[in-house]
Amino acid sequence: MSPGRRTQRIAGWLIQAICRRLPADVRAERCREWTAELPAIFDDQSIRPSFLRTLRAFSFCVGISWTTRQLSKSARAASRRSRNAQWRTGAMRARPPELAVRAVRGLLIWLVVVVVLLGLIALLRTRGFPPSLPVLFVLPLAVGFDVFCLADIARAEQVRYLHKWAWVIICLVQAPLGGIMYLSIGHIGRHPSRPTSSGGPSGTIR
Amino acid sequence: MCRLVAVKLTGPLERVLRVMLADPSALHYGYDLMKTAKLPSGTLYPMLARLQQDGLVNAEWEAPRQDTAGRPPRKYYQLTAEGCRVARLELAQAASSAPAPRAGHGAVRPAPGSTR
Repeated sequence: MSPGRRTQRIAGWLIQAICRRLPADVRAERCREWTAELPAIFDDQSIRPSFLRTLRAFSFCVGISWTTRQLSKSARAASRRSRNAQWRTGAMRARPPELAVRAVRGLLIWLVVVVVLLGLIALLRTRGFPPSLPVLFVLPLAVGFDVFCLADIARAEQVRYLHKWAWVIICLVQAPLGGIMYLSIGHIGRHPSRPTSSGGPSGTIR
Repeated sequence: MCRLVAVKLTGPLERVLRVMLADPSALHYGYDLMKTAKLPSGTLYPMLARLQQDGLVNAEWEAPRQDTAGRPPRKYYQLTAEGCRVARLELAQAASSAPAPRAGHGAVRPAPGSTR
């Protein structure tokens, strides 16, 4: 084997190794494309002396490495975009980037409600009211909220992550918190089946 | 299809478009483009990928032939009809705005579809 062929093979291995960074659906094709360029570089008679061709091939590999980085970056961005679009239209399996944020937000809302309620009870107790009085007022609110959540689940064509029945049980068992969690995580805001005008946010017609 | 024209005409892109427009029916493989446009592979291939994504450039595999002396089949790039149109337009505009400072000229006649 001539030294030229050997370096060509080494460069081919290098390209193969570099291509591993690419997403699997384009990896093999890109690898074939770039390996097919190597003979052209090693047979390029305009580059003299011949060892400069080896340098050229390796600088080609450096550029390929840069290219794979760009390509995989844009592929990641595209998959993130499509995942967000799926999440917005309510695909069950789509993993939203902001799930933790939503859960924490739900918990915070619940905490605020609990603190306000306890504060109200403490305040009324200092005024001499029995503690059962604010509960009497709050209970219908909580029941109303729960009924609202259950009605929302019943009306929704689709809910996220869990079955409708699982969300119903969560809403019933964890009375206010379950409902808040359903609204912040399981609830699909926009109706996916309803046609929206040219992809803009529904409800805002400009 | 207005996104297609939003490709920003940079120096390297201009060189590639010139090379490909010189003979729109010609098939170019990567190293050929690198040599004639004098671009490194790290600039050329991301650019080709972007142009391909925007539908301005078409890529096809060379059919396996006997006379290639064991050379693996290459991938050839070619401007699409839309690509030819956009490239001519962009190059003509670049040429017309080249003598004057670009900013002043662009303000008078911005490139169609550009975000300015």
